Amino acid sequence: MAQFEPRIVAFLCRWCSYTGADLAGTSRLKYPPNVLPIRVMCSGRVDPTFVVNAFRKGADGVLICGCHPGDCHYNEGNYNMMRRFPLVRKLLAQFGVEPERVRLEWVSASEGDRYAEVVAEFTDEIRKLGPLEWAPMMAPPPVQTAESVVTAK
Amino acid sequence: MPTLTIDGQTVEVEEGKTILEAAEQLGIEIPTLCHHPLLEAYGACRICTVEMQRGKRVRMVTACNHPAQEGIEVQTRSPRVLRHRRMIVELELGRCADLPVLRKLADDLGIDRSRFGTGEHECILCGLCVRTCWELVGARAISFANRGTDREVTTPYHEFSDACIGCGACVAICPTGVLKMEDIKGRKVIHSELTLGPQRAIRIPFMQAVPNAPFIDPDECAHFTTGECKVCAKVCPRDAVDHQMEDQFEEIEVGTILVATGHDVIDCSEMLRYGYGLYDNVITGLEFEKLSHATSPTGGKILMSNGEPPKSVAILHCIGSRDENYKEYCSRVCCMYSLKFAHLVREKTGAEVYELYIDMRSAGKGYEEFYKRNLEEDVVFIRGKGSEITTWPEAPGEEGKLVVKCEDTLLGTVRRLPVDMVILSPALQARADAAKVAQTFGLGCSRDGFFLEQHPKLGPVQTASDGIFIAGTCQGPKDIPDSVAQGAAAAANILSLVDRGSVVIEPITSVVEETTCGGCRLCISVCPYDAARFDEEKKVSVVDEAVCKGCGTCVAVCPSGAAQQRFFADTEIMAEIDGLLAEIGDRHQFPA
Amino acid sequence: MKGIEGLKAWQAAIQEQRDPDATWIAVCAGTGCLSQGAADLAAALREALIRHSLEGKVEVKETGCRGFCEQGPLIVIHPEGIFYPQLKAADAERIVSETILRKQVIEDLLYQDPVTGRRHIHEGDIPFYQKQMRLVCRLNGVIDPTHIGDYIVHGGYQAAAKALFEMEPVQIVEEIKRSGLRGRGGGGFPAGVKWESCRNAHGEPKYVICNADAGDPGAFMDRSLLEGNPHSIIEGMIIGAYAIGSHEGYVYVRNEYPLAVRNLQTAIERAEAHNLLGDNILESGFDFHLKINRGGGAFVCGESTALMASIEGRVGEPRAKYVHTVESGLWNKPTNLNNVETWANVPLVIEHGADWFSAIGTETSKGTKVFSLVGHVNNTGLVEVPMGITLREVMFDIGGGVRGGRHFKAVQTGGPSGGTIIVDTTGAARPAEDRDEHERGPALVPESLIDLPVDFESLTEAGSMMGSGGMIVMDETTCMVDVARYFLNFLTEESCGKCTPCREGIRNMLAILERICDGRGQEGDIDLLQEMSDTVADTSLCALGGTAPNPVLSTIRYFRPEYEAHIRDRRCPAGVCTALIEYSINATKCTGCHACFKACPTDAISGEVKAAHVISTAKCVKCGSCLDVCKFDAVVKQ
Ligand SMILES: Cc1cc2nc3c(=O)[nH]c(=O)nc-3n(C[C@H](O)[C@H](O)[C@H](O)COP(=O)(O)OP(=O)(O)OC[C@H]3O[C@@H](n4cnc5c(N)ncnc54)[C@H](O)[C@@H]3O)c2cc1C
Ligand SMILES: Cc1cc2nc3c(=O)[nH]c(=O)nc-3n(C[C@H](O)[C@H](O)[C@H](O)COP(=O)(O)O)c2cc1C
Ligand code: SF4
Ligand code: SF4
Ligand code: FES
Ligand code: FES
Ligand code: FES
Repeated sequence: MAQFEPRIVAFLCRWCSYTGADLAGTSRLKYPPNVLPIRVMCSGRVDPTFVVNAFRKGADGVLICGCHPGDCHYNEGNYNMMRRFPLVRKLLAQFGVEPERVRLEWVSASEGDRYAEVVAEFTDEIRKLGPLEWAPMMAPPPVQTAESVVTAK
Repeated sequence: MPTLTIDGQTVEVEEGKTILEAAEQLGIEIPTLCHHPLLEAYGACRICTVEMQRGKRVRMVTACNHPAQEGIEVQTRSPRVLRHRRMIVELELGRCADLPVLRKLADDLGIDRSRFGTGEHECILCGLCVRTCWELVGARAISFANRGTDREVTTPYHEFSDACIGCGACVAICPTGVLKMEDIKGRKVIHSELTLGPQRAIRIPFMQAVPNAPFIDPDECAHFTTGECKVCAKVCPRDAVDHQMEDQFEEIEVGTILVATGHDVIDCSEMLRYGYGLYDNVITGLEFEKLSHATSPTGGKILMSNGEPPKSVAILHCIGSRDENYKEYCSRVCCMYSLKFAHLVREKTGAEVYELYIDMRSAGKGYEEFYKRNLEEDVVFIRGKGSEITTWPEAPGEEGKLVVKCEDTLLGTVRRLPVDMVILSPALQARADAAKVAQTFGLGCSRDGFFLEQHPKLGPVQTASDGIFIAGTCQGPKDIPDSVAQGAAAAANILSLVDRGSVVIEPITSVVEETTCGGCRLCISVCPYDAARFDEEKKVSVVDEAVCKGCGTCVAVCPSGAAQQRFFADTEIMAEIDGLLAEIGDRHQFPA
Repeated sequence: MKGIEGLKAWQAAIQEQRDPDATWIAVCAGTGCLSQGAADLAAALREALIRHSLEGKVEVKETGCRGFCEQGPLIVIHPEGIFYPQLKAADAERIVSETILRKQVIEDLLYQDPVTGRRHIHEGDIPFYQKQMRLVCRLNGVIDPTHIGDYIVHGGYQAAAKALFEMEPVQIVEEIKRSGLRGRGGGGFPAGVKWESCRNAHGEPKYVICNADAGDPGAFMDRSLLEGNPHSIIEGMIIGAYAIGSHEGYVYVRNEYPLAVRNLQTAIERAEAHNLLGDNILESGFDFHLKINRGGGAFVCGESTALMASIEGRVGEPRAKYVHTVESGLWNKPTNLNNVETWANVPLVIEHGADWFSAIGTETSKGTKVFSLVGHVNNTGLVEVPMGITLREVMFDIGGGVRGGRHFKAVQTGGPSGGTIIVDTTGAARPAEDRDEHERGPALVPESLIDLPVDFESLTEAGSMMGSGGMIVMDETTCMVDVARYFLNFLTEESCGKCTPCREGIRNMLAILERICDGRGQEGDIDLLQEMSDTVADTSLCALGGTAPNPVLSTIRYFRPEYEAHIRDRRCPAGVCTALIEYSINATKCTGCHACFKACPTDAISGEVKAAHVISTAKCVKCGSCLDVCKFDAVVKQ
């Protein structure tokens, strides 16, 4: 059987990690193509519902990358994310999603190689976890629109 | 204001003046030897003795320190005064027969020869030097030692004094010229320190400095280190010296910033095998630059620490560069400046020069040609990195030399080169404070610590922060032409912004939807810029868009979805997620 | 403890404990006696007492110096007051078994008058003590200086208490002024006047200092007081500080006097422990802190400004005193400096009143003066005499006359000499601290002036001076040029070297004196010396230089022919200057005993036994050995 190729959604902060990813590209580093990046202004902008939604829409893993602690372009956005992250994991666990499927990593603008490494390693790990199986108790909500998700918060 | 008479003339003087000063006011000259207006009166030489009458009592007093008191009558040339003055000069001559200062006094007083012999001392023990050192300079490096006729000016225990700052003020003030700089401060020429020779505390930083005015270095200045001295302020005719002046922190509002903070060089003393700091004549490239510069203490002559020119010099490339243990990158400038050094040494001293290189990197306009020229000038090029410097001789001809060990990769042998002087070409590295500077300006740093440009090809002088530019070696090792080119490029970028007169701010800001906002104020608590504030009337949060930097943190925490970020609204990101995962179709695992 | 009542109660309590009839032994433990074995003697006495089961019943007390150091080690047995001088440890057993147990006086241990041959039982009967008036020294030799109770029991600190509780500061200053007390450190400046200027000077804090530098190693009166009765000095300083308005004092004492430093330190600690020093003394509300400052031991550091510089931690060099130290002294604050003996006199004046004090002495010089009497006299030691006593009384009655039946030639006041070495010149150098206060003058008193009364004015008028209390008696065997040379030699070494006339002047004057003594004197040397003296005295920065020429001037003045004999005749009349004397043998007197032949270290003497001997001048090194050994007066020194 062909190897399982996971789908990973990555939220990359515009200042460090997105630039880091860019550098990985311009440096012609090889890394798995499984990651689908979404640019956000800051890791602090990543709302937990984004993560949940990504899983709901079929992602097998979610990667959040921001500037190293102390380096955030907005000074403390990444700290907010750091505080939020354990809750995200707990929340997912309650839904029956393995917490390992979500990851928070610091990648600076100069760390193209690190970005490549992180991606390669995470892809590998998700690959081992296999495709996401939603727990049976989770019933799909009747209609899915972005608005309803927002109001459900 | 006391009034007194001197030699029959009446004079009124300010309170606190001495007889000597009062006499000066009248134009009456009283000889002095141990007196100096900048120093506290000492009263040691007694040559200024005058006759003073107060009421009926007549006394001999020294004019230099006796207060000019109300009603006293002073005689400066009475027979008794002259008799004593002659005797004192004669006694001084008996100690120091050949001093011009004394000779002149003796001539004035008609003394031909002293009855007390022809002593060969040169110091009259006036104490001007000691008091200068204590009172003005504050270094307290010299003082009087011993009693009576054994009295002498010296450093503690006659040892080289670390307290001496080498200011030379004592030499300048000594009336006999017996004090000489080398005598007090054996420190002569060279180096092992980055600053060559004693620094003057007050100096013009370098010849091309802007503004071209002297400044006082508080670390060297005796006033700031001891609280004394201020001799510069006392002698400056324009009263331009102000020790009270404090560092002033000025806030200047600017629209753009160019960061060109340059580089450091690696500390060679870390690499013990090169013996830098241990052997006098192992110096760094920077020290060689200073030494061979026309304004150096040697006047640009290339000399060793013993003052002799070297007969052979080795120049070692890549010290800390291209080295896994230190810096992996190439410092880019060493090959060329080492060639420049070789050329200079050949030209100025004719010494044998060895260049020890890994690869000769002479890419650049005219650079290869310069390399060729050095080859023609008989510089010896050895391909191989210098691995160690020792003073341990193993073969004849190595005694008293610095022996450089290296592997000559062209000959395939290990070689030992006995030389007089070694110049190390240390790696350029990011400044120690680079990380701090980066943080201040919101810059990124590459892994080796140099500042990160926005894009290596498309934005070489721009940075991630709009309006902030970088140029020169703070961005990475490069030589002057490249630094200048970058600087010019950055300037052009800056000028275009300045010309426009305004900058376009980020459109990506947050907004709070009034109708949905529940007034929980969570956004206000997380906003790092205090851009969100609470409207008491409407009971909702409001974001000031001019202040908001658009990080979107508030949006992420807003429980009601009232806070939204322009261009990054929740709906937009959700749609992005949807879009990314849309073609997943067949593998849709979500329980239906 | 509070006030005078507190002190008196304490005094009474101690008295109660002590049996007035109890036997106790005072062993002099002054530096003089200690060096002659007083410590061993005290130990031997204690052992002997133990052997006779008298320990705890008979106390052995180590006291300060009694003055008669020459006769040390010495003891007094109380209450009878039996005086035994020149003891050895071996005498202890006899003293305990006979005198202590059986109350028998041991005849052969008693003092024997060298002149009359009589033996005396009590100190008071001895001529040495008879003409003395021991006021300042009254407790020296009586109390144990390390024991504050001993001082208290003799009324100690009651003068201080009187001053603090019953007198206003101004009143005290007035009292001291009225008493006529003058500085004992040399200058003779009226103490009350000094206190008043300091009191009125502007500036806070004010300091009081005790000058205990006792610069001349032979001038041991200050040291003896410090060692033997330190509390009297502390008490004087408390009174002075209170009168002046000072709360901080220093005692500047040289480190070379360990016993003085130790006893003073102990005394200060005890006084502090009993609230006699420190904050709120005797609950009077007056604070006074006293510190010891140890001097390095340079003679010039006894000079007031050099002393203050030294306390401040600077080089001990004098500075100009055109602004007086009472106005700007230590750390540029008003400072009152007095000598040890001056301070020790203060409690006496306060206790007994100015009238009592001024009744002692002469018109202008009040009270007593302690001298160290040395030189060619029979009894040397520390003597305290009333002002106005004649030099003759001091030298002949107290001193027992010139030793060995020789003739008296001169006495030098102000500069003592200890043992065999003459150290101080400064009868000469000491007196005028500030030359405008006192005219300077020659320091030597020739025989013609022997009936001169000893007081500030008479000595000054006669061309000599009181000085700090040294009195060197010289007999006919002293060469006056040599004396001058000796003094200047000391001064060249002790001059601080700061000012030219003192440093270079004294050195060159010494060179001239040396060449005169060497027989290379030149015509005109005397005039040159006088010319130089004039400049050195007139222009030197401090009194060391200012008074240095005095020994030269005074010897020239009174003994000019002796100088001339040296210069013109190449002859030393006193036979001291080796270069100018020759030894020969008088053939008629020589018996040919051969003793000199054996004694001569250079084989300069030849001659057969029983035949007259001859000295070869070429070989003779003038050591004088032959003169010493010849029993027949046949060796002639000329
Ligand atoms: C030994 C040696 C020899 C060389 N020889 C040559 C040669 O022959 N030819 C050649 O082309 N190149 C040579 N180079 C390279 C040359 O030195 C650099 O290319 C050039 O100095 C870079 O210029 P710059 O302005 O970027 O930085 P720098 O010259 O380093 O200047 C940076 C300036 O910024 C200041 N600064 C730093 N931090 C701050 C701050 N926080 N606030 C304010 N000011 C700050 C510094 O004080 C300094 O004045 C040599 C380099 C070395 C080490
Ligand atoms: C060279 C020199 C040395 C002196 N040494 C002493 C000394 O050892 N002890 C002393 O009491 N005074 C000494 N004096 C005198 C002091 O300067 C000062 O006059 C004295 O201590 C003042 O105290 P009085 O007024 O109580 O005498 C010396 C003076 C001079 C010039
Ligand atoms: S070295 Fe010169 S300045 Fe110093 S004391 Fe001697 S003469 Fe005076
Ligand atoms: S007189 Fe002598 S001791 Fe006094 S300051 Fe001058 S050199 Fe020094
Ligand atoms: S901007 Fe990168 S984490 Fe905040
Ligand atoms: S100039 Fe006045 S003492 Fe020297
Ligand atoms: S030391 Fe004993 S009597 Fe002087």
